[in-house]
Amino acid sequence: MPRSKVTGGSSRLDALLEELATGLEQGLVPAGIFNDPEIFEREKEKIFSRSWIFLAHTSEIPSPGDYVLRYILDNAFIVVRGEDGQVRAFLDMCRHRGMRVCRAEAGNASHFRCPFHGWTYRNDGTLVGVPAEREAFGEGFSKEDWGLLPIPKLEEFDGLLFGNLSPDAPSLKEWLGDASWYLELVTKRSPAGLEVLGPPQRFVVNTDWKLALETFISDSYHTLMTHRSLIELGIAPRDAKYAMYGEQIHIPGKGHGTMVVGGPPGAKLPPFWGYPEEMMERAKTSYPTQTHWEVAKETRILLITLFPNFSLHNPIRRPDHLYPKPVPMLTFRVWHPLGPGRIEVISWGLVEKDAPEWFKEKARHSYMRFFGSSGTFEQDDTEIWSHVTRNAGSTLGRRVLFNYQMGRNVAPDPNWPGPGVAYPINFTDENLRNFYRRYLELMRD
Amino acid sequence: MDLTREILDFLYREAELLDEGRYREWLDLLTEDILYQVPVRLTRERLPQGGYSGISEQMFHLDEDRTSLEMRVARLETGFAWAEDPPSRLRHFVTNVRIGEPRNTPLGEEVGVRSYILVFRSRWDQPDFTFLSAERHDVLRKQDGSWKLARRLVILDHSTLPTHNLSFFL
Repeated sequence: MPRSKVTGGSSRLDALLEELATGLEQGLVPAGIFNDPEIFEREKEKIFSRSWIFLAHTSEIPSPGDYVLRYILDNAFIVVRGEDGQVRAFLDMCRHRGMRVCRAEAGNASHFRCPFHGWTYRNDGTLVGVPAEREAFGEGFSKEDWGLLPIPKLEEFDGLLFGNLSPDAPSLKEWLGDASWYLELVTKRSPAGLEVLGPPQRFVVNTDWKLALETFISDSYHTLMTHRSLIELGIAPRDAKYAMYGEQIHIPGKGHGTMVVGGPPGAKLPPFWGYPEEMMERAKTSYPTQTHWEVAKETRILLITLFPNFSLHNPIRRPDHLYPKPVPMLTFRVWHPLGPGRIEVISWGLVEKDAPEWFKEKARHSYMRFFGSSGTFEQDDTEIWSHVTRNAGSTLGRRVLFNYQMGRNVAPDPNWPGPGVAYPINFTDENLRNFYRRYLELMRD
Repeated sequence: MDLTREILDFLYREAELLDEGRYREWLDLLTEDILYQVPVRLTRERLPQGGYSGISEQMFHLDEDRTSLEMRVARLETGFAWAEDPPSRLRHFVTNVRIGEPRNTPLGEEVGVRSYILVFRSRWDQPDFTFLSAERHDVLRKQDGSWKLARRLVILDHSTLPTHNLSFFL
């Protein structure tokens, strides 16, 4: 068993990162990075305080005044559509004494009134009411100087709203880079775009955000054992190598990764994820390029993970073990870090706005029964991640080196038509090696 | 037998089957048209007329029919359902049972039943545990002389769930 050389002492953090750096290209990752208070403190500062973090989908707040409450690290933000239709995000903290001005998770409000001393803000963040303003604060006081603090950066990609705590962050477009091409496979299937199927499910898992993310950025390999129960029920394919077919693609320098899974040669699967004919016809003209369509029509499972903690899963799936036809489902999730070895999963179900009603209902069921809090796939994932995390925090376990050597001998696929670096097999850790290169770059910056 | 006694017997019997992991037998307590729902609960403002706020009508933790419940039970029987194998230790504490007026419907005699539940869960050899608290709004229907569960709405006292999955029934 390979063992880490890291010992105790104040330099433990740097030694761990050094060990990750030296081991990564040989496919060796120290378990200690998955459950360590010092690693987590640095991740807060170096990763989460300057990365683009998914906050909400615009369809959650369609009308003026609609808002949702969302977090980056422990910072609460009101994501709200103003009377002018523009979406903004504000730190949910009164400028007077720091009380939360919005304590509901969602709603519609023209104003937010602080329950402490009554300072009142319009939903565009402007301070408009201060009780006894003249008597208490006098002539020199100017309400314009005391509006709600806007999030340093807020940008949208096709309805996906991302925030960034760093005012110096690159644009979202630059951050996404070529990952946006793959996002468009989902966001540009129809000119109407996506809509959420309701508010997200939220649940707490004792695991590290990176472990959860690994499953969605590169790990089709786990399907055959972790999700064996669904294979037994005929919901997941019995061929153990099924998830191997397809391309694994990473975006160098960005950390993002995607898996575009088709199916084994000769598999009798409907094209285009099994979406209804009318949705397929719409996609042909809605996609920005012919190449999008060429890739999409052969796709049955698509996963995209954006650095650092957003994942999207879009598989073909029957809504139960008896339903005769496949019904694809789409979920977005944020692996929201709460502490070392602890996350909250925020999980949304989505569907095309102009999808037929019967399909929306089937897609909703397909999502809830397989992913999210009660999902028959995801409930086994969270069980396993919890145990890995406990082991990774143990005194001996944290010194063990994990094997990330899968697919090291595979050459990139020169014929893949999409952007990024593609490998012609999904049983590889290539996306993870790319993810941790970016992770190291930021952690040691 | 007295209706109250019949309903209490049903709810206690159901809790026994759920706590002992006898899910096949639990399925026998459900009607063919069972609708079993656990809506997502959000923190929202107080409703002017009182009552529970923030119950989503669109998104659920569980929104199940007979087929999907059978799928979940069949999954537990595969021997590969890691989330519940080894099984959680569960205890369904059922209290505050309120029974409505029975009524005759085209499908048979039905009665609305409300109850509070506190579900204890512990896993592995860990000394810690979680509680889930909720109110259940049930409809029971009499079929062939015995009560069956036809509808269940579980109103959670949680927004963010304090547990890593809902791999069991409430």
